Order: sequence, then structure tokens, then C-alpha cells
Amino acid sequence: MCGKCISVCPLINATNREELGPRAKADLCRLLEDDESLLAGEDVAKLAGLCLGCHRCKSVCSQGVDVPGLVATLRAAHPDFKGWLWKTWLTNAKQLWSASSTAAKLIPKQFQPEKLGPFLKMLAGLKGGPGLEPFLTAETFSDTYRGEKMLLFAGCTATHVQGRWLMTALRLLDGLGVEVLPGKFQCCGGGLKSAGFADEAGQLAQENIDVWREAGRPKIVTFCESCLSGLSGYEAFLDDLKEIELWKNSLTPLSNLLQNTSFMVSDNVPENIGYHRPCHVDEVDSDYVFLKNALGEHLTVATEKECCGFGGVMRLGAPGLADEVNLQCWDALSGADMVVSGCSACVAQLSSTHPEGRQVGHWLELIL
Amino acid sequence: MSTYAKSLTSAHKAFLADLFPGDDLILSPEGMAAFSTDASLERAMPWAVVRPDGREQIEELLRWAHAERMPVYARARGTGRVGNAVPVFGGVVVSMLKMDSVLAVDENDFVAVTQPGVITSDLQAACAAKGLYYPPDPASVKISSIGGNVSTCAGGLKAVKYGVTRDWVLGLEAVLPGGRVLQCGGRSHKDVVGLDLVRLFVGANGKLGLLTEIIVKLIPMPETSASVLVGFGDLHSSLAGANAVFQAGVLPAACEFMDKVTLQAVRQGGETIPLADSAEAALLFKVDGTEEGVAAEVRQIVKALEPLKPVSVETGRGDEEEAIWTIRRGISPAAFRIKPNKVAEDISVPRSKVAEAVDSAHEIGRKHGLTVLCFGHLGDGNIHVNIMHDAAISSEVEAAHKAKDEVFRLAVALGGTISGEHGTGLTKASFVSEQLSQEEIDTMVSIKQVFDPHSIMNPGKGW
Repeated sequence: MCGKCISVCPLINATNREELGPRAKADLCRLLEDDESLLAGEDVAKLAGLCLGCHRCKSVCSQGVDVPGLVATLRAAHPDFKGWLWKTWLTNAKQLWSASSTAAKLIPKQFQPEKLGPFLKMLAGLKGGPGLEPFLTAETFSDTYRGEKMLLFAGCTATHVQGRWLMTALRLLDGLGVEVLPGKFQCCGGGLKSAGFADEAGQLAQENIDVWREAGRPKIVTFCESCLSGLSGYEAFLDDLKEIELWKNSLTPLSNLLQNTSFMVSDNVPENIGYHRPCHVDEVDSDYVFLKNALGEHLTVATEKECCGFGGVMRLGAPGLADEVNLQCWDALSGADMVVSGCSACVAQLSSTHPEGRQVGHWLELIL
Repeated sequence: MSTYAKSLTSAHKAFLADLFPGDDLILSPEGMAAFSTDASLERAMPWAVVRPDGREQIEELLRWAHAERMPVYARARGTGRVGNAVPVFGGVVVSMLKMDSVLAVDENDFVAVTQPGVITSDLQAACAAKGLYYPPDPASVKISSIGGNVSTCAGGLKAVKYGVTRDWVLGLEAVLPGGRVLQCGGRSHKDVVGLDLVRLFVGANGKLGLLTEIIVKLIPMPETSASVLVGFGDLHSSLAGANAVFQAGVLPAACEFMDKVTLQAVRQGGETIPLADSAEAALLFKVDGTEEGVAAEVRQIVKALEPLKPVSVETGRGDEEEAIWTIRRGISPAAFRIKPNKVAEDISVPRSKVAEAVDSAHEIGRKHGLTVLCFGHLGDGNIHVNIMHDAAISSEVEAAHKAKDEVFRLAVALGGTISGEHGTGLTKASFVSEQLSQEEIDTMVSIKQVFDPHSIMNPGKGW
């Protein structure tokens, strides 16, 4: 109850409404423990929707209180159509995220009331396409990982929509001399878990852990911060503390492998490039370190505490509030001609909301 | 004794709804719950919460509240530890978070003008961007607001050199009950005309009026800093060490100490701390200034401590300095490794009495079968006494509170105060009369009546 979480909550930073913050939610959950009958209330369901699930509060809490986890539990106790829609989106990714065109068309008509417009627009943003014009070429690859066997966790977006992210990641791993092991991963389950579908998320976690075990517990390379965060939350499905440590140590951001690889910048580089730091990033942001090294003075602006406003279920329940958060993020990115990030959800959200004349993409799209 | 409004009538609600449209008025219990408590965990539900975004709304609000005898509780980020933001008499909580602009940082006048809802570290960052420095740094500097800092006269690590919030406020604007606007002080760094009304508001805990604008003094940003972490074989050597440093003519920016139990708790966290395993007490110094000055002061500190035979001395600059401070930052989470709950008090005693205060605090803990951690701002004689216990065991809760009472009496008996930083609010209200004389209290009551004749501002709290 010290209030550290209040200063990092993007929802409070955008709205100045303390009642929407993590401490308020944790406190309400505590009050509700005393009287379970309140759990049926509409107000609790409303509260459950008002969390962006960014986990910034959890990371600063001295006492380890997991407000997004509490909110997910509330959501699990009160499934409603918003949660259902979210589940539908995530579990049917392949069908919804048709690479051909707008995924929004595939949402059943009864779930298209006016207030869902921005969310559907975001879905529409999640489509394949030419992406950013690349201007980075790897010159000399680091030899640190040459010959090492690793698994690649591409994530739903790269697997189903942004095939070029996957291809670039594979090319980079090849350049590093990494032997990419075959492994059929499922969705990380992070989005499902925060939407209140713990059982379904658990099933996915179990399948992913089995893939890792069968491959001999090698490093798992990721290039999406949301996926990395989802994978980091698998403790409950691992055998013991030793395996938990092995698992955590195996999770490796692709950008981390590239720290000692040098890149050449072509002339077509935009003058001002912005970097959006995803909320799920821990203290060390290896994507930023990599980009700063590779882009140098071209990287002119970066967000620190601003959230893109993706917000999962909240995007459906309170699109207006999520928009306020998103506007603050774009304000922090003003001056950038092009914005890159290392999270598929952030890229989708920023792609569907960018001001005129700006380009948005995953940093993988910068690499030839 | 004032007769307050008993509840919010429909006319009251209509007035508030008109003044605070949309989301800026909260009347629902689930919305107001967040405003019923603060870091003290004390709780009382308000009748309404409002969010002004300018002075005019506050003038209207206090004109109405004064006429209606409506209790008014100012609130920023609710990080206070004694319940000063808790609306014990119901009434209206005024959330200041929307008034969150830094209005000016003037590198010629060396002042910043700010609204109260700005996070203090954001104000510091705005000043730093112009090479200017606002030194007060309460532990909550990244999460608390300048308005709250002024209202509570926040202290911090660097108070030993730079003083507390009170020493940096040059002027302010406040709205008083009845809607009057009082502007006092200004941009002048010196001002001896009249009674010092500015200082009266600093530390008044929202009992006189609502702050709407604050002018603080700034200084040039120190060029550099360095820190020295020193381990000692026993507590008394460490306290003598602090004395030796001051005697040698060094005024550090910070002088923190940690006792044996505190160090044990931090070590249990498994983090690497640059301190000898045999250390049973530690001092942490920070010095700042010019490159040459800092280097000289570090040498002086190390030399002054030599006769006390420290078991380890670690000096850090830059990233290494950050690593040294990990130990201090780790105390709060580490304490919970001992027991899940704590009664955290912040007594302050004359510097010469610190050793006696720490020994006695440990003895009080032993007597009640509880672990007591002592750490804090040795340079100010301001000791954080954490009485660890398990709130699920009623006998431990009872023992912790008895121990707390004894720690307060100890502080007063040593010529100190029951609170150097946190204030009295709800949790220490009953002890105020043990420290302050009746004459002092009567004078304070008379002064408050001039500002707030019906005592609607933050009623129900200690001084």
C-alpha cells in the first residue's frame, strides 16, 4: 500500500484517476475477500476490465503484489462477452488473422458495436504487407553462439501474420551460427491468462514446456516482449525450483544475441527514429541497447513509462480510457518519422493509431 | 468543537456535480474506496471525492465547504504513513492529481513554480534539464507529489546537508476555507517582512487550506557525487565513526546507518552487497560537489574512520555508486523477510543520543519478544525503527503496539521527537500531547482558527 505502483501505472499517468490504479484494485480485492457476495456485482466486472495488464505495478511492488494477476482472477470469476471475444481472437488466431486482409471482417457482426471500433481497427492493423523499408545490414556476426542449439519461439503474430519477422529472425540466427531446433510451440498464453482464461493458458504452457524438455532444455529465442513475459510466467507448470531456474535462464531475447554483431546503416535511414519500450520489458531493455548500438544518432526519441494502450480486454471494455493512454504514448514519440518496438501487441496497437505520415513496425523489419 | 455536516445531502451532491462534471466527482463506494486509505492502512470512507483542475474550482469548493461545515481532506498520491489523507470524518476528499504542471523553472531567479500534483522526481527532472537542483529527496521522491511533500514537510536522505522541504519553499498560493486566496512569499530568496506564513503552511498537513501553487528555491546541480559504504564490527564503532567524520569537518550530503538485524535481512535477499560479511553495522556516506571537492571529501572520510578500524570500506562513483546504494534501497523489502508486518516509526533525537536510542529500541524489542530494525538518517539523528511482527498473531500485534508506545516515550525522554518525517496524522495523534506542551497546542489551535474557523480542514488528526 506504499503507492509505488501509482507512479508507474500508465492508466493513472494518462487520466490522473487514482481509482483506476493498481493500489485501488488490490485494495478492492482485499475488501471483496471479506464479502464474496459482492463478487457478483456489475461494478467488479467493470473494475476487472480496467487494467491494461502491463505488469509495471507488479515489477515495482516491494511486497510482490500481482495486481494484473488479481484482475485476471476476477475476470476468470466473471466471464462476459468481452472476455469471450478476446478468447475467440486469441484461440482462433490463424482464422482471424488472415494474412490476406483485414481480420476485423471475421469478427461476428453482433460484436461490432460502435465502441469496439478502435479495437477492430487494431485488428485490421494486424495484417501482413510490405512493412518498413529495411536499411540495416549485418556486417560481422558475433561468434559467441556459433554451433549452439536453440529453439525459436516466434509467437502468434509472426507465425500467422508477419511471416517476414520470422524469416528475418531465422536469417539472423543463421548468421550467428545458431542451429535452430525443430519445435512446434503453441501461443504463450499470456493474453489468455490475463483475460481470465487460466485453464486454457495452462494447457498451452504445458505443451510449450514439453517442447522445450523434448529438445533437451536449450535456450528459447524470442523477439516479442509479450511472448517473453507470457513464457516467464510458467513457474506453476515446471517440476521444481531447479527446472524453474533452467527455464528462466533459457528465455533469451533475440536482441541479446545480437549485442556484439555489427550493422551497417544504409542511406535510406529516416532522420528521426523512435523506439517504443514495451511495458513488459524488465529493467534491462536489450532491444533498446541493441537498437541504440545499431542506429546511433538516428534513434532520437524513446518512450520510458508510456504504454501503447493495447490493454487486452480493457481495449474492449473501456476503449476511451485506452485511447487516452495511447495518445500520451504518441505525444512522447513526437518528432519520430518511424517508430519501432519489440512487442507484437505494441506494434499492432501503434500501427492502428499512428498519426499521419508516421511509420510503425517491429525492429526486425529494419534488417535486410 | 465544530458541528460538522452529518452526511452528503442531495443538495450537496447537486452542488458538487455541477462544480465537478463527469468523472471528476466520485460518489460510488467502489470508486471512493481508493481514497479511503493511504500507506498507513488506516481507513475511513469519504462521502465524495472531487478532482479540481484549477484554483477557481477550489475557491468555490471551499466557499461551500466552509458554509456547510463540510470536512475537507486534501490528497495527492496517498503515500503518507500516518493516515493524514484518511477522511476520518467522512466529508470530501480533494484529489490534487489533475493539478500536475510545472509552471516555470527559472534559471535566472533560481526558482521553480509548480502545481501541487507534480511528482517530486518529475519536478527535479525538469529542474535538472536546466542544470538546476531541488535537493529534498524523501524515500518516496519518485512516487509522492510536491504538494504532499510541502504539506508534510518531507525530509529525506540528504537533509543532513540540504535540510528538509521547509528550507526550500519560498512562496505559495493557498485557498482558505471560505474561498479566500492567500498568496505569500515569492521568488525572492530573502524576505523578512512580516510573520513567515509560508513556513506555517509547510508541514501543516492540509489543516490550514489547500495549496494551489508552490515556489521552491533551486541551486546549481552539483557537478558530481561519490559514496562510501563502511562496515564496522559493532554498532558503537559505526556511531562513533559518523561523529568522527563530522568532527573532521566533512558535511556529507547523506549519512545513513544500518544495524546488525537490518544487514542480516538485506543479506538474506541474496544480493551481492559490497560489505564485509563480518560487518555488524554499516555507514553509508554520500558526498557531492565539484570533482576536486568530492575526491578530497572521500579521502577525509576514509582517513577520519581509520582509528575506528572499519572491517570494510567501499568507495563508488557512477555505476559503482548505484551498486553501493542497492543496500539502502533493499532495506524495505528485506524487512519483510523477518516478519510479514511492521510498525514503522521514525523518531528523531539529538545526534549525541543516537547510540542510546538505538540500544534502547533493541532492548524494547527484546522485552516484547519482537525483532526491531534500526536504520536511517544518522546525520539528522532521525532513526527509522521498524518493529517486525505477524499481524495474524494477535499477541504479536499487541506486543508491537506496546513496543511502539515505549519507543515514542524513549524519543521524548531523550529530548527528541516522535516523528522526524512521517508526521502524526491518525497513528500518532494520541501521543502529540506527550511531546507538545499545552501552551504549544493552544497556540496552534488559535492559529488554525484564523485560517479555518470551523475546523473543516483535515479534522480528526494529530498536529
